[in-house]
Amino acid sequence: MLVEIAHFLTVTSAVILLLILFLNVFFSFAKPHANQIVLSNKLFNQACFLIFISFGLYVYLAAIDDFSITYIANHSNSQLPVFYKITSIWSAHEGSMFLWIVFLTLWSVLFVNFLSLAHPLKKGTLLMLTLIILGFLLFLLVTSNPFDRILPFAAGEGADINPVLQDPALAIHPPMLYLGYVGFVISFSFITAYLFYGDFNYPWEKDIQTWSLVAWIFLTIGITLGSWWAYYELGWGGYWFWDPVENVALMPWLAATAFMHSLFASSKSGVLKTWTLFLGIMIFTLSLFGAFIVRSGIIDSVHSFANDPQRGMYLLGFSGFITIIALAVLAYRLPQLQSSKLIVAGSKESFLSMNNILMLTAIFSIFLGVTYPLILESLNGNKVSIGPPYYNTIFSPLILITSIFMMASIDGLWQRGMQLRKLYISIAPTLFVSGLGVYGIWHFTQIFSILAYVGILSGLLIIVSYSLKTVSALRDKTYLNKGSLLAHVGLGLLFFSISMNSILSYQKNINLFVGGEQVINSKIPQFQFADLQKIKASNHDVISATIFLIHDDKPIYLNPEKRKYFARGQITSETAIHASFLKDTYLTIGDQLEDGSWTFSLQINYFVKWIWFSSALMAAGIAMTIFKKKI
Amino acid sequence: MNRVFSLLLILLPVLILIIYGKILLTSQEDVTAVYDPKPIPQFQLLTLQGQEILPTEFDGISLLNVWASWCITCLVEHPFLTKLSQNNINLIGLNYKDSKSNAQQWLKKRGDPYKFSIHDPRGDLAFDLGVTGAPETFLVANQEIIGHIQGELNQEKWESIFVPLIRSIEAQNP
Repeated sequence: MLVEIAHFLTVTSAVILLLILFLNVFFSFAKPHANQIVLSNKLFNQACFLIFISFGLYVYLAAIDDFSITYIANHSNSQLPVFYKITSIWSAHEGSMFLWIVFLTLWSVLFVNFLSLAHPLKKGTLLMLTLIILGFLLFLLVTSNPFDRILPFAAGEGADINPVLQDPALAIHPPMLYLGYVGFVISFSFITAYLFYGDFNYPWEKDIQTWSLVAWIFLTIGITLGSWWAYYELGWGGYWFWDPVENVALMPWLAATAFMHSLFASSKSGVLKTWTLFLGIMIFTLSLFGAFIVRSGIIDSVHSFANDPQRGMYLLGFSGFITIIALAVLAYRLPQLQSSKLIVAGSKESFLSMNNILMLTAIFSIFLGVTYPLILESLNGNKVSIGPPYYNTIFSPLILITSIFMMASIDGLWQRGMQLRKLYISIAPTLFVSGLGVYGIWHFTQIFSILAYVGILSGLLIIVSYSLKTVSALRDKTYLNKGSLLAHVGLGLLFFSISMNSILSYQKNINLFVGGEQVINSKIPQFQFADLQKIKASNHDVISATIFLIHDDKPIYLNPEKRKYFARGQITSETAIHASFLKDTYLTIGDQLEDGSWTFSLQINYFVKWIWFSSALMAAGIAMTIFKKKI
Repeated sequence: MNRVFSLLLILLPVLILIIYGKILLTSQEDVTAVYDPKPIPQFQLLTLQGQEILPTEFDGISLLNVWASWCITCLVEHPFLTKLSQNNINLIGLNYKDSKSNAQQWLKKRGDPYKFSIHDPRGDLAFDLGVTGAPETFLVANQEIIGHIQGELNQEKWESIFVPLIRSIEAQNP
């Protein structure tokens, strides 16, 4: 019964949203009335509220194991802890789409009520958001109904959540990512409303600055959590695979990063206006493109859901529809948007606009990397992978040029050019120190790889220039934007750690009997397979190995596991990781060979933790910017 | 100038929509490429173990499979290749844009279905062959390429594309 109520509530919500659209179309022919916006706002709040209640009921149904609901029966199990019963809701298409819509609604209702009734863009924003929520609600109800029942008899037991998804990081990775993705529906709708409104002197930037920064933080954390999960759960030892789904998450992130910067420039000096509007539209469009790629089934990936072409067609059609509305208004208003101010060469905004172009290039390159294999496949039915060599080759020069502009812009001023001589003076020490750093690393490691060193140099340029800036600001007691400092140093550290990881990390495959031991190399003189135990857990069997090894004179015990889950019969491998300051000792247990010995894969991964730390630093920097603005 | 931008802003998304719509609609269809026989290009590469490769390695019927340790689709087709090699198919690898150590570790970890793998770190031979990415597989008969599949080699493609070609070759040279 409860599930029918939940179903009914979402249908009612869709009807109310439709009513809002009709009302406003109807009233647009009549004389404008002050109550029109009040009424629309009230109806909108109610529609959103119904969606929240419906989702709340659904969470409850998942928690009490209502296996009469097809979706819950297919993705949950009575043996699961309650936490995973709830997170199983977003482990597949229908439920995760529901969550996606709930977040869309949450952001929308918060933003609409944040705008005062008298706000000139309130009506347009509200209508755009209504249209978008309605579109996705219909998508959920028509093509992917999570409320379907198994009739006439309920399933006795659920089919279980995929074991690799039974993990805390993964339980919160999709919600974080979705909060980031759909957060940009605000900039999308607000900008569309602004373009329809047509008074371009209105200072729109300040209204969505904080909202965009918050969404950016969620997106960053979401992507990082996904990468972290892949690292320790999949057991491949990597943190980024240039998998199509990672790529479609990176595209909105790059657009959002460019947007954040343009928004500052636009609000500070009134330039880059068209850029800002365009980027603000593109973030949400790229998020929708990501949803389409994942949910239409046109790619194979860890992430893709089982699906049918009908869903893909709907998503493509609807996303295309709202994107073209937004871009068409932008195209129509383009002649009026010409800023009277020109960008001064050598000013801060000139460097920012260069970096906008670079980020757009990066987005386009990824888009090409994702699309090209699909086009090829549709032309002659063949599959190809475009792998890391393509992306590494494209990204390393882009990263270097971006870093150089970033370094140059650090002493740049808004609307004023910088003398070349002053620029040289300000970047010379950075170049010197960074060059020295690169030489030092080469001297110490004796490993050479052009791409990696380009990355290291880029990272060092950013870190060193910001460090020098901090020192001089502290000495001269001048203004220092601490949020920006933290975020940019985070980015520099990210480039640095990724590159160092790629040149220093290595892997060894080991084959041992219980009790056997082996010398790996001079740093790991002992690797001993001490014990093997079989344990029974609530919903899986465990084979747990105890390994004793000495790494850099430090004794380390590691317990890699293999698990066999009862419900699906799936076998997963649990990695054992020992982390020290610079590196991870990362061990997975493989198969037992015919002679009774076991295989292990030992990986020494350098600077991996630093990658997560740099992302956290970037998110913290942006958070700091938000709080400083508040106070 | 503004006109051009305005037009682009609308036309580009429409174009992308059409492309993806077409991809969705045709994603089920499968087209076989017709291939004119041509000799294997000259090359100066060694195997992953550093040994020289004689042209006579390509006598009889063999498969030349382009793979790399970074390629996920290669992982997907790996079990099928292993099955082929167990059925005494002469399978030769072309390790494409890959580091020697990564490639060797990959083979050690997953199993090596290849008689040997040619190490082509810069993609020289692959370029001459017209490879667009990994994986791809060429069917070779007496040092001449007679068939080509881009993407994953699976049972279905093997039977529908390569087996008929092998039959026709065997019919010509009994």
